[in-house]
Amino acid sequence: MALHGLLALMTTMHLAGVLCNVESTFDEITPQIYEPSWMYKCVPDEGCQRSEHPRPTLSDNSTSAFFDSLDVCRIVCGRFGGIWPKPVTAALSSQTVKIHPNYLRYDLLNVPAETRELLVEMTQVISNNLLAECGGHVTEVVDTQVVVIIVVKTAITSLNWNTDEQYMLDVQTRGGEVSVHIEAETIYGARHGLETFSQLISSDKRDFSDVEHCGLVLVSGAKIRDRPIYKHRGLVLDTSRHFIPMVDIKRTIDGMATTKMNVFHWHATDSHSFPLEASRVPQFTRYGAYSGSEMYTTEEIRELIHYAKVRGIRVVIEIDAPAHSGNGWQWGREYGLGDLAVCVNAYPWRHLCIEPPCGQLNPANPNMYRVLRNLYQDVADLLNSPPLLHMGGDEVYFGCWNSSQEIISYMKDQGYDTTEEGFMKLWGEFHNKALQIWDEEISAKGLDPQPVMLWSSQLTQAQRISQHLDKERYIIEVWEPLNSPLLTQLLRLGYRTVSVPKDIWYLDHGFWGRTVYSNWRRMYAHTLPRDEGVLGGEVAMWTEYCDAQALDTRVWPRAAAVAERLWSDPTSTVYSAEPRLQRLRTRLIARGLRPDAMSPAWCSQHDSKCL
Amino acid sequence: MMSWGDALWLGLTARFARVGRLRRAVLMLAAAACTAAAVLYWKQQTDDSANRPLHSMYSGIEPQWSWLCQHDRCERYQASDTTTLQSLQTCNMLCASTQLWPQPTGPVSLASAAVPVRSDRFSLKVIASPSRDVTKHINEAFIVMQNHMRTLEHGVVGENRRSDIGPPRDVLVKVSVNGSGDPRMRLDTNESYKLALRPSGNSLVVDITAHSFCGARHGLETLLQVTWLDPYAGSLLILEAATVVDAPRFPYRGLLLDTARNFFPVSELLRTIDAMAANKLNTFHWHVSDSQSFPWKLDSAPQLAQHGAYGPGAVYTSDDVRTIVKYARIRGIRVLMEIDTPAHVGRAFGWGPEAGLGHLAHCIEAEPWSSYCGEPPCGQLNPRNPHIYDLLEHVYREIIQLTEVDDIFHLGGDEVSEQCWAKHFNDTDPMDLWMEFTRQAMHVLERANGGKAPELTLLWSSRLTRSPYLERLDPKRFGVQVWGASQWPESRAVLDAGFRSVISHVDAWYLDCGFGSWRDSSDGHCGPYRSWQQVYEHRPWATETPESAAWPVEGGAACQWTEQLGPGGLDARVWPRTAALAERLWADRAEGATADVYLRLDTQRARLVARGVRAAPLWPRWCSHNPHACL
Repeated sequence: MALHGLLALMTTMHLAGVLCNVESTFDEITPQIYEPSWMYKCVPDEGCQRSEHPRPTLSDNSTSAFFDSLDVCRIVCGRFGGIWPKPVTAALSSQTVKIHPNYLRYDLLNVPAETRELLVEMTQVISNNLLAECGGHVTEVVDTQVVVIIVVKTAITSLNWNTDEQYMLDVQTRGGEVSVHIEAETIYGARHGLETFSQLISSDKRDFSDVEHCGLVLVSGAKIRDRPIYKHRGLVLDTSRHFIPMVDIKRTIDGMATTKMNVFHWHATDSHSFPLEASRVPQFTRYGAYSGSEMYTTEEIRELIHYAKVRGIRVVIEIDAPAHSGNGWQWGREYGLGDLAVCVNAYPWRHLCIEPPCGQLNPANPNMYRVLRNLYQDVADLLNSPPLLHMGGDEVYFGCWNSSQEIISYMKDQGYDTTEEGFMKLWGEFHNKALQIWDEEISAKGLDPQPVMLWSSQLTQAQRISQHLDKERYIIEVWEPLNSPLLTQLLRLGYRTVSVPKDIWYLDHGFWGRTVYSNWRRMYAHTLPRDEGVLGGEVAMWTEYCDAQALDTRVWPRAAAVAERLWSDPTSTVYSAEPRLQRLRTRLIARGLRPDAMSPAWCSQHDSKCL
Repeated sequence: MMSWGDALWLGLTARFARVGRLRRAVLMLAAAACTAAAVLYWKQQTDDSANRPLHSMYSGIEPQWSWLCQHDRCERYQASDTTTLQSLQTCNMLCASTQLWPQPTGPVSLASAAVPVRSDRFSLKVIASPSRDVTKHINEAFIVMQNHMRTLEHGVVGENRRSDIGPPRDVLVKVSVNGSGDPRMRLDTNESYKLALRPSGNSLVVDITAHSFCGARHGLETLLQVTWLDPYAGSLLILEAATVVDAPRFPYRGLLLDTARNFFPVSELLRTIDAMAANKLNTFHWHVSDSQSFPWKLDSAPQLAQHGAYGPGAVYTSDDVRTIVKYARIRGIRVLMEIDTPAHVGRAFGWGPEAGLGHLAHCIEAEPWSSYCGEPPCGQLNPRNPHIYDLLEHVYREIIQLTEVDDIFHLGGDEVSEQCWAKHFNDTDPMDLWMEFTRQAMHVLERANGGKAPELTLLWSSRLTRSPYLERLDPKRFGVQVWGASQWPESRAVLDAGFRSVISHVDAWYLDCGFGSWRDSSDGHCGPYRSWQQVYEHRPWATETPESAAWPVEGGAACQWTEQLGPGGLDARVWPRTAALAERLWADRAEGATADVYLRLDTQRARLVARGVRAAPLWPRWCSHNPHACL
């Protein structure tokens, strides 16, 4: 066959003088049909390894340790199988049972009626994820009944730092029937339980298979007790430096749900662009969006917030201010409102802002607060209750404010010197006025005052923060590098914090300037202080050098490493996490994401062999 | 922010006077704008605004920007502030920068006006062609170009083509090739071309003249670059006139992709090749196999993939290779397949004993790996087993047959572990074994190539290409792909000794660097990340030494090794950095990453994205909108 093929090829060749002297030595030895000659073996404490050992016979007692499919091997191999993030405790069977989504039923009888609608949506997401394991089509039909009985104790549907996310998951297989019990205080706990349930399931397809046949298998028995260590497990996505289409944001949310992250910190605006439609102030997008198609309509935002909620994720909208505000704010004069922002798009920029384009809100202009109030009203209308607003608050450049005569004379009127401390007062005044506006607006909706988030800055330095920012009201998101004492200092002062050490959990680092890329190992290895005041952490995807084209590979699987750090804060090594993360990666791919490769595929086929 | 009165005045006089032919035709002084201005002016005067809700003051116009070329820069304005509505794309094309990438090396003159065109109104006439084969290739390359235009047109949403831009012009593309009748990219291929685009009556005529198919194809690529989609006009536009005289500085302009550490489907390879063509790169260096996997199923030795592939879905068949080669050929690109030996082999060569051929390789997946190779898993051919040379002859023959590249060949040859061989052959110096292996491999390569050595047979730089071993290699037969850091003396030594070289310095052109270590025990990775600016500014041949004038630098290649890269991330890792390399090797301008380079590369990046390539952005989108403000 091969010989004929070659000869036929030769006749079409352009190469003169090539003599084809095919010896048959190599053709005779093995047949042409590709027959993979390995299986995966679960090696205790190491993981799944491709093994050339002859296929064990069915009567062989060791059958259970060999698998055709790497993914199936992973869901039963090791104490935590293929679950990411690692649960607190898990006992998993090493047996599997074949299932089909058509015979999967959810029993919601023991769920408060108020939560049922949302829970139904949650189960739909899970069912779709199971189909996705097989590329949308589970060809192998088995009629094993799978009943998922969900018990939810409270009718709470709001999502905040007090939301109880713990769950219990039990899977039992008896007489050709699988019963799955999920018990949780809230539907969000139940959702995490469902997510974990879906991670006990895998397609039985071989990796790098060329066949369409696909069935689903489930770990036949499991007992899992689980709850998060940190309450705030977030991802920052910047949609101002580049516009990120909704479909890409949703895909990112899917990844977050897969890894039980619970806060989508939407850095919606910056000085570069203002893509967030505000119905009360349409000027923001008109003057701030990159184009008519590069903005988020109110409708889309609402839909996204619901999309996230169904996935157990709270959306925090950040309106960065008073710095990082420019485009979108530059229309004040034209509308008779004076300068709402100063040094917008100023050039040369180096003394006025951290990066072009510059822009800082004008705290001397009462109209600015009026517009801000309108914006906050719109944000409050959009967010689920209790609404969490991030007020930004980073990288204020006094040089910018100092360049405005209007601001300088305002400061004189207020009795502020034009010294560093004077500008600090102005800055602090801005935040407190903004907070007051926010409080008024949510109180108008009948809600109690809510804490707001703020980036760490010069204003939040230990010796200064107490004068300007009330620790009961502000949660400080600390992005100082690892060697900074600020986080510890703020904790000592009694502030609640969210930690995003920039030199380790910033996803954009390593592509610009002198920043260094943290790979998942480095991100995973970092731990946060176990302190009441540490609500949790975030990974941050700033998008100066990233847009929708590169988004997935920049974020995944690295964000997942942080997700596990925040969920279970494991003491085990990076090395022992790798097989589970490899499984997570294939799961993310099945769910439509494009995570980066962590190693040569050979290493994922040979756990523990690439140390 | 200027007042409305000022804006109106400027719009009526200064700006309108600068408007070119197209802009006058396309872009309006809309009565609507006047009305809006008047209304707004009135609003500004009335001072009850403090109490009215903001949205009632809003004039209700979609966010829209207009770009005007002022002082050789495209400046962004609110569309309502200007009398003309011009897209960023059109402004960029008609303003100061050529917007061509890579920058042509000969004289360029471009019109500052554009006319509407449509992909299906382009027609081709081959005026002169040295062979039928070349004619066929020109026809296919023309269709490729037309398809790219069609893809751009798909970007026009719905039926929003503006009627006032006038009817699309017919474009007649006349191609003359006077020279080689061989359409392949060869070492001696003359890639120069001339392009002349001019209006002729109501239509346009393009003359492309070249000395080879590849040159003519480059001309078509340049023609594609002076054609763009104007989203405001809802139409393709083309410069009304242009002349470009162009030729590359270096004959070898490559990108290496490793398909062994991670497998990449054929579609990813094709897209990469298409992006290479957009940048006039000419060599797809396909590092097919390595110790981790052997994804190519040869007809003459299917065992290699049977034992070495990650799975049956991670295999390139001969048909796949032919598809890739043909696709590349039409795009002026040679496919240089590298089966790396004698190191960097693995389980693919592990079936010798059971086939009665003895050990074809040693140290396969030996542990601890750090004793026998640079990264897991290990493996190295057995230079004493004569069957290995028979097998290599099959491999080489099939490479040459499938790729139809017979003037240049890559033998691999890097990172041989002396310890591995020393363990099995304690009677011989491993360096002698290596030298002997290389000779033998060269010998079977000659046989596989019809008894004739390829004009240039490349080896990776290694201990073998350093003194005292370098002296034992023949610079008439071997060339060296130099990958050591640029400060290393090895590049210079190799070049001084007269070896034709392809530069791939790890500290400038390794695209895999900067992602940390993918294994626990070693930090054998390179870092930091090489930015596109670093890629661009690397000019190792530009030294003061007198010998350098005679250095036989063939060109260079960016290397995308894939230990930490899978299919989904390929594009953003490779592009736009490899585009930066493409201009370095094509034009080799003495300047570094200047403002003009940013502008042109940003446009080129947008072209790649429009072609379906997920290239990473250069900077925030605001900087694309306000290019000069970020420099």
